[in-house]
Amino acid sequence: MSSTNTGEAIPPTQKTIIITRFDPDKDEVPRKQEYSVPCEDNWKVLDAVNFIKDELDATVSYRWSCRMAVCGSCGMMVNGEPKLTCKTSLKEYGDRVDIEPLANFPIVRDLVVELDGFMHKFEAVKPWIKRAKEKAEDKAALHDTKLTFSQSTEELGNFKQFSMCINCMLCYSACPVVANEPDFLGPAAIALGHRYNMDSRDEGNAERNEIFRGEGTVFSCSFANECSEVCPKNVDPAAAVNQAKFEAVIDWAKGLVLPSPSSGGSN
Amino acid sequence: MAGPAHPHSMAPPKPARTRAAPPQMPSTWWNTPRMRTYLLFDATGIIYLLVGFVAIRMIRALADGPVAWQAAMQSLENPMYIGFHVLSLISVIFVAVRFFRLFPKAQPPSIGPLKPPPGPVIHAALYVVWIGVTAVMSLALAGVIF
Repeated sequence: MSSTNTGEAIPPTQKTIIITRFDPDKDEVPRKQEYSVPCEDNWKVLDAVNFIKDELDATVSYRWSCRMAVCGSCGMMVNGEPKLTCKTSLKEYGDRVDIEPLANFPIVRDLVVELDGFMHKFEAVKPWIKRAKEKAEDKAALHDTKLTFSQSTEELGNFKQFSMCINCMLCYSACPVVANEPDFLGPAAIALGHRYNMDSRDEGNAERNEIFRGEGTVFSCSFANECSEVCPKNVDPAAAVNQAKFEAVIDWAKGLVLPSPSSGGSN
Repeated sequence: MAGPAHPHSMAPPKPARTRAAPPQMPSTWWNTPRMRTYLLFDATGIIYLLVGFVAIRMIRALADGPVAWQAAMQSLENPMYIGFHVLSLISVIFVAVRFFRLFPKAQPPSIGPLKPPPGPVIHAALYVVWIGVTAVMSLALAGVIF
């Protein structure tokens, strides 16, 4: 039982937790199941789901791991809003709390969503440092930080914010463009690609900008800003997407007047 | 360069590997405060479409001569038209304020050696230009200047 600062015990509050259930072997469509849960004052939403799993119904399936907003696995819709459930206090909500799988993703089982499409979108932006060609100094730099891979604080500041993404996928659930256009590359993947484009060590800008100028990428974004509103790590993917639009256009314009830069190999 | 640790981990899934329920939106998706604001923003497009129709009608009246133009101008005094234009004004202010709020974050971190000014400076500049242009156009339309 939780307690106040003066040590006074706070009795649990009975809440109705409504979980979306889907068993691919039995259910045609997802259904709702209600559980009455005695919720402690200091509980997060994830604690209530864990209580259901441990005490009421062991068949409930969901993902979670770190409980400290780092692993990004416990994202769910809580009363219609995408939330990281380990970071969301249950007392923010009333007597009935509706917990659903992340919107815009196929449901594998209960609160577990299909990740394959999301992973393919990540892969599409080539999220690794691309060098035009492997240089002798690259190998040397692995052992001497003052060589090729050294980076100033200012250079790091250009992209550090975008590298804080924990891949929780809340931005995909909040994005109205993803809802209407499932093939849209989406906020996190574009932010990741932009993160590498802004990295002073990277030489893959031309290749990624070509991807970004394609259909269903940065120019599909209507700047709803929903992704940034729900991001639990303040990554601001909307900023990344819209900066990527600018970079993609500038890169295209440069290509009109300058000889095309070699983007190197296909690593 | 070394290959990926698990070269097949990102391979496309085989068809019907797992039966999954299609993506779903919460039944109350439209009723969350942020989504209501976004829907309102999107709905302003309808108002601008109607403003476009009014503009086309006025251009046609102008082409049809002074009598048609006067009649068209007189029709704009109808309370329905006035109400519509007030709604259009509110809509423009709503969209402009939203755009100005988001504009600084869309700026690139740098263009060559140049860095964008801080967000509040960009905000202030946008509002100054907006108010200034509106004031000049209002004075021009009122015949005070030009």
